[in-house]
Order: sequence, then C-alpha cells, then structure tokens
Amino acid sequence: MPLVALLASACGSGTPAVSLVPVTGFTPDATLLAAAQKEGTLNVIALPPDWCNYGPMITAFTGATGLKVNSITPDAGSGDELTAITSNKTNAGPQAPDVVDVGYSFGAQAVQQGLLQAYKVSTWSTIDPKTVDPNGMWYGDYYGVLSFAVNTSVVKDVPADWSDLLKPEYAHQIALAGDPTASNQAIQSVEASALGNGGTLDNAQKGLDFFKQLQQAGNFVPTVGGQGTLASGETPILITWNYLAQSYADALKGNPAVQVVIPKTGRFGGIYVQGISAYAPHPNAAKLWEEYLYSDAGQIGWLTGYCYTTRFADLVSRNAIPAALKAKLPDDTGVVFPSADQLTASKTLITGNWKSEVGVSVATAKP
Amino acid sequence: MTSSSAVAAAKPSRSRPSPARFFWWVVFILGVLYFFLPLLATLLFALRSQPFLSAFTDTLTASDFWSALGYSFVIGIITIVISVVLILPTAFWVRLRVPRARPFVEFITLLPFVIPPVVIVFGLLQMYANKPISLTTAPFGSDLLLIGAYVVLSLPYMYRSIDAGLRTLDILTLTEAAQSMGAGWGRILVQIILPNLRVSLLSGAFLTLAIVVGEYTIASFLARPAFGPFIALIGRNEAYRPAAVAIISFGLTWLAMGVIAVVGRGSRTRIRITGAH
Amino acid sequence: MTAPAQMLVQGAPKARPARRRNLNVLGLAPFVIFAALFLLIPVVFLVVGSLQDAQGNPTLANYGDLSQDFIIDAYVTSIRVSLVTAIAGGLFGFLLAYAVILGGLPSFLRPALMTFSGVASNFAGVPLALAFIFTLGHVGLVTKFLLDSFGIDMYGSGFNLYSEVGIEATYMYFQFPLMVLIMAPAIDGLRQDWREASANLGATPAEYWRHIALPILTPTLLGTMILLFGNSFGAQATAYELAPQVNLVTLVISAQMSGDVLHNVGLGYSLAVGMIAIMAVAIFFYTLLQRRSERWLR
Repeated sequence: MPLVALLASACGSGTPAVSLVPVTGFTPDATLLAAAQKEGTLNVIALPPDWCNYGPMITAFTGATGLKVNSITPDAGSGDELTAITSNKTNAGPQAPDVVDVGYSFGAQAVQQGLLQAYKVSTWSTIDPKTVDPNGMWYGDYYGVLSFAVNTSVVKDVPADWSDLLKPEYAHQIALAGDPTASNQAIQSVEASALGNGGTLDNAQKGLDFFKQLQQAGNFVPTVGGQGTLASGETPILITWNYLAQSYADALKGNPAVQVVIPKTGRFGGIYVQGISAYAPHPNAAKLWEEYLYSDAGQIGWLTGYCYTTRFADLVSRNAIPAALKAKLPDDTGVVFPSADQLTASKTLITGNWKSEVGVSVATAKP
Repeated sequence: MTSSSAVAAAKPSRSRPSPARFFWWVVFILGVLYFFLPLLATLLFALRSQPFLSAFTDTLTASDFWSALGYSFVIGIITIVISVVLILPTAFWVRLRVPRARPFVEFITLLPFVIPPVVIVFGLLQMYANKPISLTTAPFGSDLLLIGAYVVLSLPYMYRSIDAGLRTLDILTLTEAAQSMGAGWGRILVQIILPNLRVSLLSGAFLTLAIVVGEYTIASFLARPAFGPFIALIGRNEAYRPAAVAIISFGLTWLAMGVIAVVGRGSRTRIRITGAH
Repeated sequence: MTAPAQMLVQGAPKARPARRRNLNVLGLAPFVIFAALFLLIPVVFLVVGSLQDAQGNPTLANYGDLSQDFIIDAYVTSIRVSLVTAIAGGLFGFLLAYAVILGGLPSFLRPALMTFSGVASNFAGVPLALAFIFTLGHVGLVTKFLLDSFGIDMYGSGFNLYSEVGIEATYMYFQFPLMVLIMAPAIDGLRQDWREASANLGATPAEYWRHIALPILTPTLLGTMILLFGNSFGAQATAYELAPQVNLVTLVISAQMSGDVLHNVGLGYSLAVGMIAIMAVAIFFYTLLQRRSERWLR
C-alpha cells in the first residue's frame, strides 16, 4: 500500500530531511508481513541515521509495516557487528542484531564463522551478481567512492586528485575519517591512495608511502575528522565516502560551502553487504527488512542518500529513478572494486605497518 | 581592607598576608581560563550555525536529546542511591572494625579504573545475557545490568569521598557515644554519621551523576538509549548541533548539581563531639 | 592500631573478641558480593580469556605477544602520560581546591568550583576532543588569538595538539576536577584554627605547610594521585578521537576488541590483565606510603 512518510528533522536526525522517501514500490508478501508483525520488532546495528539515508528509511519502514526498529550501536564498525552476533548467540534481547550491514570482506568471514543464514529476496535476480554470495548468505547493498570533502571557504584551490594533496598549500589540512588501525573507512582510504600513487589494489604499500609523504610534507592532520572539524576549518579536506561527503555538504547548507571531489585517478569503490544473522531473534522481521531494502522503494531510499545500489542497472533500465535524483549521484566511471582477498591483504598490511611507517612521535612530528 | 571584606565576614580568620591571597587568586584565574576557554570555543562554534542559534533550537526541540538525557539522569539518581547504601556502611565498617581489610577494599574500588569498560560489559553480557539467567531479554533487565555496572564505576569516587570524609570524623567516639545512648547501627549510620558527611556525599554524588551522564561504552553495548551513545553518534556525524548539545548538557548538568548542592545544604544540626568549629 | 589498644577501645559489653572478628568481616559481605557480581567475575572472564586462543584452547601466546616492541612502547607511553597527568593534575587540582576553600577567596566560589568540577570530571570522549580541537587546533581559538594579537605561532614553535603533549593537556580537563572534588573534604578537615594556632606560636606559613598541613594531607594527596593515574591510564575515547596515532595501551586494546580490524580478542584480554598488574603495583606503593604517613596521625 503506497504510503508517503514525511521525515522532519524534528524526528531527531539533526540533518535536513532528505525530502520525501516514498514507500511506493514496496509491496510486502502478506504472509511474511503477518509473521513479522507477530515478532513486532527489528534489531538493526551500526546504521547511523545520516549514512546512506538510513534514518528516513527506517522511519519509512516502520510507517509501512508497523514494526518497531531498535537501532543498536549506530556507531559500530563491521567487526563490532559480527562480534555482536557472536556474543549474543543465545541472547534474544535487544542487543542481538537481526541483520547486519558490513564491509565486503566481512561477508565471507561471517559465513566462515557460521553467523549468517541464507535468504534470497524476491528481487534477487536483478541484483548485480558480482556482488552477491551465490548461496544467498550475503548480498551487496550499496557502494560509495572515496572522495574529498572540501571546505571551500578555507580551501580556495580545490584539489582534483590524490597527487594534488601533496601540494604545500594544503599544509595541515588533510585528514582521514577514522584511525587506520581500526576503522574500515580509514584503511580503505589508505588503500585508495595507493591507486593514485602508482600502486595497485594488490599492493597497498604505495598507499602507506603516500601517507608518509603527506605526513612529512606537514599536510596530514593525525586526528579523526568529521563534519565538525570539516566545518570549523581544522580539517578542511576530509577523505571520506562520497555519500558521507555529500550528506555533510547538504547538512551544512553552505555554512560553510562544501565541495565533494571524486579524484580523477584512483577511484576506489567500497561495497557493503547485507546479511541476516543465523541467531536472529526476529527472523521474519529480518526478511521483511531485506525485502524492503531490495524493493524499488528501498533502493530509491539509498540512492537519495547518494549511495549507488547493486540494483542500479535494473532500476535504470526500467526508468525507475527520477532524473533529478540521478543527477545528484557522482560520476563514478572507472571505479574499481577490490576483491575480498585484496581487501584482507591490504588491511593486514596497513594496520600492521601504519604506526611504524606513518605514526607520529612527538619528537619527529612536523607541527 | 579591600573587597575581601566579604571574605573576612565569612571566614573567622584574621586577615591573610596579601602575597598569599594574590597567589591563590592567580591559581584560581588560571583554573578558570583553562576550563572556560574550551567551552567558549565550543560555544562560538555552535553559534556559527545558520540560521543563528539553530543548533541550539534544534537540540532543544529534538526528542532524541531529551529522552537520552532524561534516561541517563534517572539511571544516575538510582545509581547514586544504591552506591551510597552500599558504600557508606562498608567504608564505615572498614574504618571502625576491620581496618586490616582496607587495602583489599581499596584495591577493589580502584579496579574500575583499570578495567576497560569494554571488558566489563563483555563479561556482564556473557554472564547475564545467556541461559540460565537471561536478564537482557527485557529492557528492564538490561537497565539493572547498566545500573550495576555504573555503581561499580562509581566505586572509586564514592568510596574515596566517603572515606576521606570519615577520616575527618572521630567515628570511634561518635559511635560509642551513640551506642551508650542505646542507638543501633542503623541509627548511628543514618542520623549521626550521614549528616556529618554531607560534603563527601555530595561530592561523591556529583561525580557519579557526571559519570553516568557521560558514559558511553557500557550503555552502547547494552543497547540502552543513554546520553553517552547519543552524544558520540552526533559528534561524529554532525557539525554544529553536537557543539550546542555539549554546551547545553554541560550547563544542565551543572545546574542539576547546583540544585543538589542547595538542597543538600538544608538546615540540619551538625554533631561535633571533638571540639571547636 | 595495636591489638591491645583496639581491645581497650572496643570495651563495650558484647561478644568475645574472637567471634567479634569473624562477624566484623561479614559486615563487608554486601560490598564483596556486589563487587564479585559486577566486577570480579568479568575480570575472571578477562583472565580466562587471556589464556585462550581464538578457538578457545588454552595458550600462553597472548602473554608472549606482549613482548612485542610496539606493545612495550604502548605501556611505556601510557604510564608516562598517566604519571604526568596524575602529578601535574594532582598538584594544580590541589592548589585550586585549596584556593577556594582556605585561600581567602569569596566564599561563593567554592560551591561554584565544586559543582563545575562534578561536571568537568566526566567531560570526556568526543565532545572534549572537539572542544580542544576548537581551542588549540591549527585554527583554534587560542591559536589564532596568539597569532593575530601577539604574533606567537604556537605550531611553529613546536606545539602540536595531536600528540602526547596534546593528550596530556586535554586529559587535565577531567584530572583537575577529580582532584578538586576528592581533596575538598580533606582540606575541610584541615582546621582553620590550626593555621591560626601555628601563626600564634610564631610559625611561618612555610613551616605551617611543612609541619602541619602537608603531613595531614599527604595520605589523601598521594591516594588521589594514584586515582588520577588510574583514571588516565584507563581513558580511551578522548585519545581515540583526538590523536589515535599516539600509542596508548587502551587504544591497542580497543583495536583488538572492536572496530573493523581482524581482531585478536585474547591479546586484548592479556593487555588488560597487564594494566591491572601495573595498577596493583601502584596501589601497593600507595598502601606502603599511606601506612607510613598515617603513623603520624596516631
């Protein structure tokens, strides 16, 4: 039944409403809906409201199905999500996630640890087959491209590519959005910089070298950057996913003006995957949620949050995406996606060597 | 005399030599600078939001802010009560009757400092979230775990405050005098020791409340809608509102503590057996 | 207290001393049970976990891993940061508390400072890190003020907020207030009349401090500094937000226990056990010192 959920920022996300997220295009199977409503709640984990438009999507889902959504640790990382399943295997309480949304390499890891149960949504055949597990244990949901969020009131000459970041005019202006020994996004940022520094996805060492250069040039600010430090001018060049950068630009509404730059070379795509926990306390609610996400409604929801989705090609072929929305999506031609092995190898290399190669010590840090 | 005449009226001392007073003023002003400059910087940043003050109005109208803050306040008050009920008799007993146990008790009260909250909450979840005792299926059970964990976190502060306060009392004489008049332990604790510990209890209460409102890890792993997780989430993902939230919550908590201080200062006879004051 | 003295004092006509001693210890039961339920048992999980590998088999490998260079460096750095913030934080916090209680300042400043300290002592994590970035960062309030008004270039002279020093400066925000709050009752106990009496007897302020005030305050001073040490030692969220590059034990632990990295939970546990061992040593020294100074008070 078509419903339109109006999402005001008073609902608490703090960012401006990404206008209306229609729930047209979501027609849940009646039996599944009934079974899910009997369970009554859905436990999701690691879904910040400003990430790919999840806030409004959750509200829309609740409006369409009547299920209450319990959002666990929105700030958690992919590893935390798997740990949450593991430590709550026999706990049917609010700490046990029903579904997870994890980085690409974590899908296989979760299967290996027996943490997921298979489920193929009704639109399964239209999902990009390169992004799914053939057995239906996990399935790609959206991806983003690593980009530069640039505070243009501070940075007049906007960098266009990775190599530009080394220019002396960007002295102490560049930051990552996390710690490269712990945060997925930061690790992949380092990996991505390898592409812009003559390296390949197989060898992230070039990425470490790049950041070492950045550090020695005095351009790198070794802190966790976010919308606050971007706006204050402390980290006016922030390396982060395009969807986050674009949502920051929207939220700031020109105060200050933020430009989102997809680097000319070295376009690195990061895919996230969905999965249902093998120990889900509310399995039917979980399945209903997945049906929503992979329905046209859910897909448009993610696209509204500037995330390319894995059913994008199918939606385009049916002209299901409003032109205005499509225009806002960044140009991602030439984007490359690392394989799970490449991701794992890079992660090991980067987390192992970051502190020794790039790490700051008080004596040698260039202020 | 200078404007310190107000001070002279409050303190029954002869006038101090001015170099000393000057020194203390310098200390105080340095302290004020150190504490207020970061708050000022945060405030100025929050004021940059457009339209003007929207960061503040957004905060005050957002239901997520109030529900998170309210939840943490309530949990905080409950934690303080349980903590006092647990620690006051214990600290009193250690001082009075079992001084040998002191290093042991102190070691325990210092443990919360060193065990990362992540570990405490993992341990708690493993113990209490699974069969046979499944506390976490109901939110109320998780709240109990949270309160228990917070009482533990408050141990160092509560115990140390109360102990420091007891140290200044001659509890031995007080107890004996009370016992010789027929008072039982309950009355001794509540009517004699407690009123004399007002400063200690207040300071312990302040600290506990601040801990509870600011705590992040345990609340987030127990999936409780507390203020700490709320503040961390918006701090990373938003710009001006977190700054406004920090200022407002700082101000509100300070106000609450001021209220506690005023209420706690209500007229009560102080019993001092050991001489002048 | 010596045993005979204790018996003299306990002269009330009740049970025989031997039985009284057993009962006395029982008085601590509620506390011990509570601590066991919510603290000690999780610690047991901690120790057991540290002796297991990822599959649950017993192993000492996690402790062997502790000898890695970067881990030893993490412990050294954490201890260094904690010592600095404990001592400097303790000293200035004590001075601040003394200033408002016995320093001759207007009396309303005392409750103002106490209540403020209550809030500030727990102002940590993301908001504190951001507050200091806004103040002392490259484009911070103080940084720009010094540059624009006095031409002092903080960063040019070597200061860097995103460093060990920056973390120490930020940690003071909750260390000073903690000291203030816990020293206040002890300073209260330092009676005004003692100051006057000693002045009457011809003692200089320095002598008053050396022979009366400090000996009385020292046990609490030292004890609270140990508290500050532990508080700083266990802090994590602020350092993570501000300067995750600095190699602290808590940051290494959190990297093992959570986040996106292939983590080694057993190592996290053994690191935590290492922290407890260090705190145990600190408390041992504190107890020694405390016994020695308390003798003075008898």
